[in-house]
Amino acid sequence: MEMKKISPPILVLVIFLLVWTFGAHLYGMPFLLPNPLEVAQAFVSDFELIVGGLWITFQEALYGYLLAISIGITSAAIMSQSKILERSFYPYAILLQTLPAVAVAPLIVLWFGFDMLSVVVISLIISLFPIINNTLLGLKSTSINLVELFQMHNSSRFINFFKLRLPAAIPNVIAGLRISAGLSVIGAIVGEFIIGSGSEGGGLGVMIIYAQGDLETALVMALILTATLLGFVFFMSVTTLGHQLLKHWHESEIT
Amino acid sequence: MISVLNVTKHFDEVHALSEVDLDIATGEFITIVGPSGCGKSTLLRIIAGLINSTEGSVNKLDTSMGAFVFQDAALLPWRNVQKNVELLMELESGFSKSERAMKAHDVLNQVGLEGFEKSYPHQLSGGMKMRLSLARSLVLKPDYLLLDEPLSAVDELTREVLQEEIHTLWKEEKFTAILVTHNVTEAVYLSNRVVVMSPRPGKITHIVDIPFKKRDQKLRSSTKFHKLIGDISGKLRTWK
Repeated sequence: MEMKKISPPILVLVIFLLVWTFGAHLYGMPFLLPNPLEVAQAFVSDFELIVGGLWITFQEALYGYLLAISIGITSAAIMSQSKILERSFYPYAILLQTLPAVAVAPLIVLWFGFDMLSVVVISLIISLFPIINNTLLGLKSTSINLVELFQMHNSSRFINFFKLRLPAAIPNVIAGLRISAGLSVIGAIVGEFIIGSGSEGGGLGVMIIYAQGDLETALVMALILTATLLGFVFFMSVTTLGHQLLKHWHESEIT
Repeated sequence: MISVLNVTKHFDEVHALSEVDLDIATGEFITIVGPSGCGKSTLLRIIAGLINSTEGSVNKLDTSMGAFVFQDAALLPWRNVQKNVELLMELESGFSKSERAMKAHDVLNQVGLEGFEKSYPHQLSGGMKMRLSLARSLVLKPDYLLLDEPLSAVDELTREVLQEEIHTLWKEEKFTAILVTHNVTEAVYLSNRVVVMSPRPGKITHIVDIPFKKRDQKLRSSTKFHKLIGDISGKLRTWK
């Protein structure tokens, strides 16, 4: 059973690596397209450098993500309390989504300086909307019978929120968090691209720019892979949290 | 006693209820039957105080605590059986933690759900969910219980068993019961009186007294039982 679950993606990975190796061999220019082994070598030889960058990017993405979670859930909670509040603020939440974050990033750097804070803010902006949107959807989708049940027993707005609407919205909240997990890392990398050499040390994004400049393509790929895995770890953490919260009751997690 | 006085309800363009008058005696089991969309659920919600009538009023004399049993059981899927039974006691306050646990234990025994305290609603059958929903309301010792098509989602056999259980609970707990259903057999089996409503705008067209003293399997197969069901079905059909 467990074998069946794991082997198909492994098989795809093996085929992918073979095609890549073969393609790189045919192409014959390792400084443009290194083979997987060379990427692995870069990963090993620059391990300390990569881990140092990972640590910085991890913090930036984590802070951006945590801020997005707190701001996102709070603003969705506020908007869910009245139609007027929702109609007043939701259009601006949409604008936040359509806002080209990459284009705004230079402005953010002007305001918050050439350091980690700017990167955190850019990560926050990029990962905020899915959390607001999904949480709000969940908070508004409470079964009408349950709302009436609570109304019948004089429950206050506060009790309604914490005993009914919020728990009922958890599946949607988790869905939003899962989308934003990867986005927060993307936001951090974008932020690092913008602040670039202005930063001290520098995370994975800064390193990618430098490695690219030096035509160290294998290192660039190793850095990309590391950033990808970071997003994946974020995603899996939220998925695990979601499983813990929902395993007893939600269709998506009941096995 | 619950008095419905000249209740009329409009939803925007829709005229849902028209001048409904009904007196419900304390301890009575009364059932409202009518075609789909006749406003019987609306009437129940107006009696519950969940929605307001456009005109008229509902007076509830010497009744303080009411409870509503919903069609789909309306359980909280993230709470286990024990926690679901304790829900309304938490909302109503005035019940200590140990009191909640004790009352929950008793009422779960009463409806035959002992041993399922740790189960979640999705693990229960339709009938068990409804028992849990009834238990959750009855634990408050309500003066009146409003039931909105509680058995429409369960299979025929379970429905009969649950009808008998609801009857027993009503005799034991002595609450006033107002049931809405489209199942005439259920109405005749459970009630002291059956109220027949017309299609929209819903009006009361007949009130039929049910004379039976005992509810059992013998009654179900008796001629007088089926004759009364036939009578009421006929009264419903004149409107179709």
